Amino acid sequence: MISHRDSNAQRISALDERAEALHLKPGMGIADARAMHPSIDIVEADPEADRRLLEGLADWCDRYTPLVALDGTDGLFLDITGCTHLFGGERAMLDDILSRFFHQGFDVRAGLASTPGAAWAAAHFCGDRIVVSGGEDVLLAPLPLAALRIDPATRASLESVGLRTAGAVMAAPRAPLARRFGGSLLLRLDQALGRLDEAVSPRLPVAPLSVERHLAEPVVLTEDIERLVQMLATTLKSDLERRGEGARSLALLLFRVDGAVSRIALGTSRPLREPLLIQKLFHERLAALEQHIDAGYGFDLVRLSVLSAVAFDMPQADLAGEVSDDGADIADFADRIRARLGEGAVLKPVTVESHLPERAVATIPFTEAPRRTTPPKKPDRMQAPMTIFPPERPIRLFRSPEPIEVPATEMPEGPPLNFRWRRASYRVMRAEGPERIAAEWWREASGDAAASTRDYFRIEDADGRRYWLYRQGLYGSSEIPPRWFLHGVFA
Amino acid sequence: MAMTAVARETVFALRRQIAKIEGTLPERLQAPASAAPRAVADADRTVVRRGIAVAAPDAFLGTGVERLDAALSGGLPKAALSEIHGAETRDAGAVAAFALSLASLILKPGPSFEQSTHGQGILDQGASKQGSAFKQELPVLWIGTQEIFREAGFPYARGLHASFGIAPEQLLFSEAAKLTDALWIAEEAAKMTALAAVILEVRGNPRGLDLTATRRLHARAQGAGRPVFLLRQAAAPEPTAAPVRLIVSPAPAVARETIAGPLAGSIGRPAFTVTIGKSRTALPGQFTLEWNPDERRFDERRGEERRRRQWAENPVPVVSLSGGRKDPAAAAGAVLAFPSAGAPAAGDQPSRQQRAAHLGPRRAG
Repeated sequence: MISHRDSNAQRISALDERAEALHLKPGMGIADARAMHPSIDIVEADPEADRRLLEGLADWCDRYTPLVALDGTDGLFLDITGCTHLFGGERAMLDDILSRFFHQGFDVRAGLASTPGAAWAAAHFCGDRIVVSGGEDVLLAPLPLAALRIDPATRASLESVGLRTAGAVMAAPRAPLARRFGGSLLLRLDQALGRLDEAVSPRLPVAPLSVERHLAEPVVLTEDIERLVQMLATTLKSDLERRGEGARSLALLLFRVDGAVSRIALGTSRPLREPLLIQKLFHERLAALEQHIDAGYGFDLVRLSVLSAVAFDMPQADLAGEVSDDGADIADFADRIRARLGEGAVLKPVTVESHLPERAVATIPFTEAPRRTTPPKKPDRMQAPMTIFPPERPIRLFRSPEPIEVPATEMPEGPPLNFRWRRASYRVMRAEGPERIAAEWWREASGDAAASTRDYFRIEDADGRRYWLYRQGLYGSSEIPPRWFLHGVFA
Repeated sequence: MAMTAVARETVFALRRQIAKIEGTLPERLQAPASAAPRAVADADRTVVRRGIAVAAPDAFLGTGVERLDAALSGGLPKAALSEIHGAETRDAGAVAAFALSLASLILKPGPSFEQSTHGQGILDQGASKQGSAFKQELPVLWIGTQEIFREAGFPYARGLHASFGIAPEQLLFSEAAKLTDALWIAEEAAKMTALAAVILEVRGNPRGLDLTATRRLHARAQGAGRPVFLLRQAAAPEPTAAPVRLIVSPAPAVARETIAGPLAGSIGRPAFTVTIGKSRTALPGQFTLEWNPDERRFDERRGEERRRRQWAENPVPVVSLSGGRKDPAAAAGAVLAFPSAGAPAAGDQPSRQQRAAHLGPRRAG
C-alpha cells in the first residue's frame, strides 16, 4: 500500500489487490486504515521514481514503434501506425506487448483503436480490446463520462444534469453542450470519435534511419554486440548511400530481456557511413561504458539509429585509386577519442573577436572544418585591425586568474616589486606595461567600470620566468581596493 | 650471382624488414654486386645510432644551434619519443615553450625541410609521399592531464600563434581526467602520420608512466615517423625509453633591441637554459638558447660575442661618420674588454646568484 500526503493528512494513494480485499480504498486516511488493519504495510509514494519507471517502460516500448508518448503518470501512448505488420497484425502485437509486460511483472491494460481517445477509453474501461475503425461510438456509448478524458468539474456538472454516459453526451445537441460546458468537452468527444485529429507528441525525436535485429537467443558478450553493430551498419550503409548522406550522430539501443534499455549515443566529426569505422567507434564507446552496461540475462533486440545525417560528398580518388586525406585520419582519431572519453576530449581553439584575453579564444569540441575551397587568405586573420606592434600574449593562461599578494609597488599605478603566488615569493626584476584592458561594457549589465578595469604587466622574476600579472581596479576611484592577479605564463 | 631479379628483390625486402626490426641501416647490408659502389658511398654518409631505427641524415630535427646539434650529433630524433623535463611546475612556461618551438621548427616552411621529406625510404613512407607543403598544415596535438592544465595553465592559442607561428587551426588540445586516459590518447595519436607532432604533458612521476608505457610511445613514434614530446613538469629523472632527455629551465631574457641599442628594463625574446640530461651519444652540456619568434629559429646566447658577430655582419654605423678624419673602422673591432674565446658552456650569462647580486634588489629599469 502506498501513501501520500494530501492537504496535511496521510492518505492512501494506491493499493494492491490484497489491500482492496480488505475494503480499503484510495483516498482513505492512513490512520483510519491502520485502525482497521494494524498489520498493513505502508510505503511512502515516490512520484519521481514512478516517473523514471514509466520512462523506462517508454524506452522499452521503442521496440514496437518510435512514436511513444507519456500519458499522465500511469499511461503510455504508442502510435503503431504502419508498425503492426512487423509483429504479425494488431492482435498479435497487442498479445506480444501484454505477454512481455506480464513476464516483466507488470499488470497492464491495453486498448487499440484508431484514435488516441478511443484507445484510452478502451484501455481504461474495457481492457485488452481492439476497436475497429469507425466503431468508436459503439465502444464509447455505454462507458461512463470519465472515458472521455474530461476534467472532474465538467464531469460532475454533466452528471448533475443527468448525462451519465458518453452515449448520452453524444446524443445530446451540441450547441447547448458547448455553451454550457465549454469547448473542451466537444473537443475531447470529437477527438475520441476521430472527427478531429489528435497528435501524440513523442518523447524522442524519430530517427531518420534505423535498423534493428531481433534475436531469438539473447546476446550477452560485448564482442557479439560489436559484431551485430557491424552487421547493422552494413545494412545502414546502403540506406545512407541511397540518400547520399552520412551519419553525424548515431545511437545504439540495446533492449534487455527484462525490459531495461541501454541507449549508447555518439557523435562523429564528419559524415560517416563506413561500417568498420562505425563498429570501431562503438567498440571504444562500449569499452568506456563497460561498467555501466549490465547485460543481465542478455539483449534480445539491438537497434542502430542514425540520429542526424548530413550530405556526404565522396572524395575524389587519384589514378591509383587511393584517397589521400589527412583530415579523415584526424577526424577518425578524434571520433575514437571522443567515443571513449566524451565530447570534450578533443578540443580545438577558435579565435573570437574580443580584447578580453580569456574570451579571445574559445575551445570547442573538435569538428572537421569545412573543406577549404579557396586558398587561405595571405594577410593574417588573427590581427583583424593591423597593429604595428601586436601586444604580447602569454602561451598559457590560467582558467581563472590566480590571486597574488602584492605588498608594495614603486608607483601606485606601476608594476609590483615583489609578490607572493602559491605561497612562494617572487622578486620582480623587470616589468613591461601597463596594458590597460577595460571590461566589455556592452556585455556586462552594470557595475563599476573602474573596478573591473585591468592593467596588465609583463614581468620577469629573478630566475627568468616571465608572467602576466594584472591589477584589477584603479587606485582612488572606487572604495574597493585594487587586487592583483596572475593570469598567464609567457614563453 | 645467379639470382633472378625477382628473387633478389624478395631477399632485399626481407632484409629491409630485418634491418628495420634490428635498427640497423639497410644500406649497410650486403648489396648485390651491381649496386655495390653506390651502397658503399651511402654507407660513408650515414650515421648509425643504437636504439634509433634508421639514422638517415634527415632523421634529425636540427635546432639550428651548431653547438647543441653537434652535442646531440645531428639534433633531436624526429621519429622518437623525446623527454623534456622541467624542475618545477612554475617552469612550465619555459618547458612548453621549448617543445613548441621545436614543433614550430617542424612546421616551418623552408628549404632545409624541403629536402628532408624526400627519399625517406622504408622508415617513413607515409611522410615521403607528401611534400613539405602538406606537412606545414598538419596539426599539433597537445595532450595534458587535467591536473597539469589546472596547475600550469591551459595553452593559449593567441599567444602560441604570436610566439611560434602555429595557427589556431593547427592546434588540437586534449584534456584527460586521468593519466591512463592521457597515455591512451597519446598512444593513439603517436601512431598517426596526420599529426605533425604530439606533445604529452604530465606532472610529477606517476606510476603509470613507466618504462613500458614510454616504450610503447616510443615504438609508435618510430613507426609513424613523427616526434612525441613528453613534457614532464616537476619530475625527477627516471628510466624511460626516450633516447634523449633535455632539462629546460627559464633564463632571463635580454633587453629588447632597438635602433638606439638595448632598451633598458624591457623583456626581449624568450630564453631557455637547456641541459642535456640523457642522450645515448651526446656529451653532457648546457646551452642558453633564445627563441626568435619572427624568424622562427633558435639563437644561442653567447653574450657579447653574439652582439659582436652581428656587428661584424652588419657594420653600418647608425650615425654617418663625420668627414675629414681618419677612418676609425679598422680599430673598432679590437676594442673589447673580455674577448670570449673559450667561453664556458653556459655562455656568458652570469649564474643566478651572481646575477642577483650585481643587479641588486631594485629592478634594472
